Amino acid sequence: MSGLLQDLFPLVWSGMITGCLYALGALGLVMIFKCSKVVNFSHGNVAGFAAFLIYGFSSGVLLELSWGAAVLLTILAVIAIAFLTYAIVSPLVFESDLTATIATLGIGLIAQGATLLIFGADIVSLDLPVPRFSTAVLGLRITGYDLTVLAVAVVTIGALFFVIDFTKLGIAFRAISENPFAAEVCGLNLRSVHLFAWIVAAILGVVGALLIVPTTFLSVTTVAAFMLQAFAAAVIGGFASLPGALVGGILVGVLMNLFTFYVSPEYSSTFLLGLILLALNIFPNGILARVEGFRV
Amino acid sequence: MSDQNATLGLSSVDRSGLRGMVSARVGTWLLIAIALCLPMVVGGSWVFALGVCFANAIGVLSVSVLVRYGGEVSIGHTFFSAVGAYTVAILDTRYGIPLWFSVPLALAFGVVAGILFAWPSRRLSGIYLAVSTLALALAVPEIINNADSLTGGYEGLYVSKPLVPGVKMSLQRYYAALAVLLAVTYGLSRLRHSRQGLTLLLAKSHPAAADAFGTRRVWARIAVMGISGGIAALCGAMLAFAGSTVSPSGFTFWAAIFLLVGSVVSVYGLTFPRALIGGAFLTLIPQFLSASGAWIPVLYGVALLGVILAGHYLPQLTQAMGRRKGGA
Amino acid sequence: MDVLTNALTGQGISLSFGGIKVLKGLDVSFRAGEITGLIGPNGAGKTSLFNCLTGAYSPQEGQIAFAGQSLDGLSPAARASKGIVRSFQHVALSPDLTVLENVMIGVARNHDTGWLNAFLPLPRGCAERAEMERAAMGALADLGLADAAHSLPDALPPGMLRLVEIARAIVGKPDVLLLDEPAAGLNNSETRDLMQTLQKLRSGGLVMVVVEHDMDLVMSICDRIYVLNFGEFVACGAPDEVRRDPDVIRIYLGSDDD
Repeated sequence: MSGLLQDLFPLVWSGMITGCLYALGALGLVMIFKCSKVVNFSHGNVAGFAAFLIYGFSSGVLLELSWGAAVLLTILAVIAIAFLTYAIVSPLVFESDLTATIATLGIGLIAQGATLLIFGADIVSLDLPVPRFSTAVLGLRITGYDLTVLAVAVVTIGALFFVIDFTKLGIAFRAISENPFAAEVCGLNLRSVHLFAWIVAAILGVVGALLIVPTTFLSVTTVAAFMLQAFAAAVIGGFASLPGALVGGILVGVLMNLFTFYVSPEYSSTFLLGLILLALNIFPNGILARVEGFRV
Repeated sequence: MSDQNATLGLSSVDRSGLRGMVSARVGTWLLIAIALCLPMVVGGSWVFALGVCFANAIGVLSVSVLVRYGGEVSIGHTFFSAVGAYTVAILDTRYGIPLWFSVPLALAFGVVAGILFAWPSRRLSGIYLAVSTLALALAVPEIINNADSLTGGYEGLYVSKPLVPGVKMSLQRYYAALAVLLAVTYGLSRLRHSRQGLTLLLAKSHPAAADAFGTRRVWARIAVMGISGGIAALCGAMLAFAGSTVSPSGFTFWAAIFLLVGSVVSVYGLTFPRALIGGAFLTLIPQFLSASGAWIPVLYGVALLGVILAGHYLPQLTQAMGRRKGGA
Repeated sequence: MDVLTNALTGQGISLSFGGIKVLKGLDVSFRAGEITGLIGPNGAGKTSLFNCLTGAYSPQEGQIAFAGQSLDGLSPAARASKGIVRSFQHVALSPDLTVLENVMIGVARNHDTGWLNAFLPLPRGCAERAEMERAAMGALADLGLADAAHSLPDALPPGMLRLVEIARAIVGKPDVLLLDEPAAGLNNSETRDLMQTLQKLRSGGLVMVVVEHDMDLVMSICDRIYVLNFGEFVACGAPDEVRRDPDVIRIYLGSDDD
């Protein structure tokens, strides 16, 4: 029994840490989906490209800047990409949200190709300037990295919810995701709110990518693969709910950890598939959806 | 009598459409004739590449069928093509069963897999279905790798049993893939005019109307996924035979996306020439760009966006041009 | 054939959405050989009753039966197989199919060749297709649409599309034909054509129900009219009786005066 607990606590803890990262990715997907009705398949590849840009700007491959400057420059680049993506995708949405979603796949492919062209297929390492320490609390090993992730996730997500709940832009965002037509009739500017969502999503993607890379290494597929878990998180959260994405992210992180440890590390993607199918069928509107009255 | 009146009374627009249809038919036959003769003209590596191209064209068709008849998009069709490919490869290498038996079996397994996937996802549509197919694609390489006692794991399997003993193997690989591609396009052209095809098309655009005339939505979805899964399995079977090896690297998430790219580039066409465009895009471009592989995703992405944007803006453009011409 | 036994009947139909009673215990009987109109102001419950008849909604209380057979709990698809078909207010034809092919779908439920016939040129499938085509062509010719058989729906005016919808509904020789606002969006001459068509369709065995806003159309073609208001029938009878009914006059000419 104590053996079980000894394993369980660290598993849940580290699952929560990665879950926070999935949630960061998922929040970006949900932000875009809520207002544009597009599933942004380029999210992972663009975030991966961003991670490589930071590496390129700070390591001397492209430029030799300080870490902070590299991140800032990258965020500017990512915002530009978000602008471009939105410009391409937004006219398509009126025709069909599926067409627009396929278009994001195209952008993802280009981002992946660009990464390959500029940085090659090699693995590089990208470290995060985090305090290196580790301490044990009740038998739980907590590292500086864990705390950094937790702090960044809490601050970012807190800021996001604050913006959405209390600022004018956030209220416009909520109005538009509830009913775009009514919101436009009321004089809200759809375009600026959409751009707000795309830019915030892009930045969330960069933050997520930066935090995930130190746990592994950086290759063309690392961040894209990581974003697939974010996808699962968004689906489990209902794809249209920001708190749902947060809960979904943590749930996916913890469940994946438990599954790989107790059942099998080889079938984690299959487990994810099962999780997604189960979530879509049992909670088509997400785990946090209120049970609404039956309407015909 | 009234039939004849109707056919004779076609409006001029319809008649020009008819002429277009006739010339398209001639073009298709010409293309088939060329495809039949090509191995006598081109070299061995081309014959091989074209065989794989035909196999990929079948895969493109499987995605296009889902779009055309179901109104849905899949980014996970490698799952079904893997089912077909490994059916053929395992029967060939482990049991020595040739293509005559393994291909129909692959088709059957593909149909069953399509139905098995369609059932739990029958109420999903649009983006939600696309995401669940994505999850399907992700699981494929892992399942293949882990079932290595059967699938040969990472190294894969080599398919070598001839279809007709005594005939040069390279020609067999080419013509088998071509034959299956032709059979699939023929079957699909029949489907378009069949009772089932008509009801599926109505169910796609007006599910409530189809329901009111006896076609249940769930039936339509399961039927389309079954057809699409079966065709995808045929694609896999031909990839295994024409490409001679199967390994998990051929059924990655990216391969699934490429199938969708091929389908979009062929504008979801279900005819032989359209399928060939999609198949060629998937097979021949990597062939040409083999020296600089990083350009492949860029090119695919640009082509995908190009076709989608052209589909969006061209009608508007031609309209504007027409207006200008009319005004002048 | 006994006209009364071949009727579509509803007994005590009640339907509510979230506590709001939309239909309050309605008793209806739609007889074969007649055209029955269902009218009433907006929000009176016409469409709700119509949807109960087609099977899109299932009423919380009451029974719906056709020729003495209960239809309760049957889906629209299952009702279709019992010969109960409908047209749609918003034209619901497939844009990918020609007019002829769209109408052929109306007889699909009477055929049952297997999937092999869909992909291969087997004799049964070919015969089925020819049979469906003949039936559809006949229905189109009956409505004067034979010339449009090979056009795509997008190329035709709305009045014609409405007739195509009706052709699709009648081609399978239904026992019950439910028409949902057939004149919606039609101009005057199109409405006249439609009225003539509907008159022509009246036959001994067919139950026809028309939900309609257009008073002229209802008054001139219907044998009986049910008037709904706030989920209840305020009048029922021949057009002349209904026209003279004081309640109906009040509803339609406005109760603002009193």
